[in-house]
Amino acid sequence: MPLKSGVMMDETALIRAAQDGDHAAFEQLVQAYDQRVLRLAMNLLRSPEDARDVYQEAFLRVFRNLNSFRFDCSFHTWLYRIVTNLCLDHMRKRNVRKEESSVLTTTDGPMDRMDTVAEERADGDPQRHMFSGQVRKRIKEVMSELTPRERMVFELRHYQGLRLRRIGEILGTTEEAAKNCLFRATQKMRTGLGDFI
Amino acid sequence: MSKGHEEMTCTAVREQLPMLLYGELSFDEEERVESHLDACTACRTALQREKAVQNAFHAVEIEPSASLLRECRQELHARLMDEETAPAARMSWWTQFTAMLAQHRAGMVLRPVGALTLIALGFLGARLTPGAFFSTGALGRGENQAMSLADPQTSRVRYVEPASGGRVQIVLDETRQRVISGQLDDVKIRSLLLAAAKDPSDPGLRAETVDILNTRAQSEDIRDVLIFALRHDQNAGVRLKAMEGLKPFAQEPAVRSALSQVLLSDANPGLRTQAIDLLTEGTNANQDRQIIGTLQELLQRGEQQGYVRERSRRLLEAMNASVETY
Repeated sequence: MPLKSGVMMDETALIRAAQDGDHAAFEQLVQAYDQRVLRLAMNLLRSPEDARDVYQEAFLRVFRNLNSFRFDCSFHTWLYRIVTNLCLDHMRKRNVRKEESSVLTTTDGPMDRMDTVAEERADGDPQRHMFSGQVRKRIKEVMSELTPRERMVFELRHYQGLRLRRIGEILGTTEEAAKNCLFRATQKMRTGLGDFI
Repeated sequence: MSKGHEEMTCTAVREQLPMLLYGELSFDEEERVESHLDACTACRTALQREKAVQNAFHAVEIEPSASLLRECRQELHARLMDEETAPAARMSWWTQFTAMLAQHRAGMVLRPVGALTLIALGFLGARLTPGAFFSTGALGRGENQAMSLADPQTSRVRYVEPASGGRVQIVLDETRQRVISGQLDDVKIRSLLLAAAKDPSDPGLRAETVDILNTRAQSEDIRDVLIFALRHDQNAGVRLKAMEGLKPFAQEPAVRSALSQVLLSDANPGLRTQAIDLLTEGTNANQDRQIIGTLQELLQRGEQQGYVRERSRRLLEAMNASVETY
């Protein structure tokens, strides 16, 4: 993407350029992270509409508050604080509403709406085909029984591959607390899956 | 390893297995777990199961589709443009001026400039009335000619400063037209057209541009712009033209998604009629399932438009889908 300066920038320079009003720099910054943000929101919320809302709201907040970013932490951590807070809000609201937003009623019976809009992570990956629909259904059920915080820590560690120390920074807690949370989540998952696997 | 000791140690080790696989154990913890695993077949089996469980989790991971990501980016781009223009349009020139001076990064540089500008404005205010400012009588013959060249439609005063002998020097920013011609496949031409298709100030320009872009709708970047126009353009004529260009691609998921949005929420009846026709022409089984949901939602909302309502009802019946309950 052409920048005002016409050169490739590292992230710090990109953020400073965006703070100075360089739109191309801001969009480049967005595109460095937005796929991961969308994936995080999709996996946590399992609703393309909610994921889309989180994506828009997160980057608009970044845009509005970029001038207050003082490099006290990494941009990644700052952005993920915004995104995880938005996702946690959605999950908590959904828990209150007891809404099954990821399930569509079709003539073929209940169907996960994500199956209609998302791409499988790796087409042709034999790993995916090893698991029957029943097992996948059970995993989704077990995941939906985790608390929003447990679900979040599990998502960030397992799917986003973040270290517990970073997860603690993002969620405003200690590495130890994040570890306990992950421990509870994996225990619940293992118990919930029982003999399925 | 004694049986009692093994039972206790095995329990502790098995609790640590997920953390071992995540690489989140300290060096010492990992050492203890690894040495136990070397000696304990049962725990090695448990480790294999733990790996299988973690692999199973990957099987339900979702990767957002490329079209969803594209749509998110386009929507964000549009909202950023709104964000950029809307607050400025609401602010008075004075608020904008003071806001500009207050910007923390630019403030130190701009404050002296602002002060000078205020002095210049004060100077002009004191010496020239509005009538005198625009009066050609205050200027000499050469300047008269210069002023006639300064068309207010294509130029704006950048800054002014007093000159000797009571004269005023004005610096103008002028917009000059330039003609560029080239093939539609030329990158520069194409990027100008893509920008013109989103120009918020001129619907006529957008409609003409979309018309031209329709001839190259087989190209994905152009199709993205047409989808964006269909979804977001304020002008129904532009949306209609975009839909015409997208007709041959009505089976593509991104186009279908845009058509569904039109069907559900576009205010223009003509567009919604065309959308339902395009969505229901030659659909396959998988698309049928998606269109059913859209049509049911439409009826659930109490669709007012007769043709669309009847067509939806008939299609749902033809697909043996529920019409009354959702």
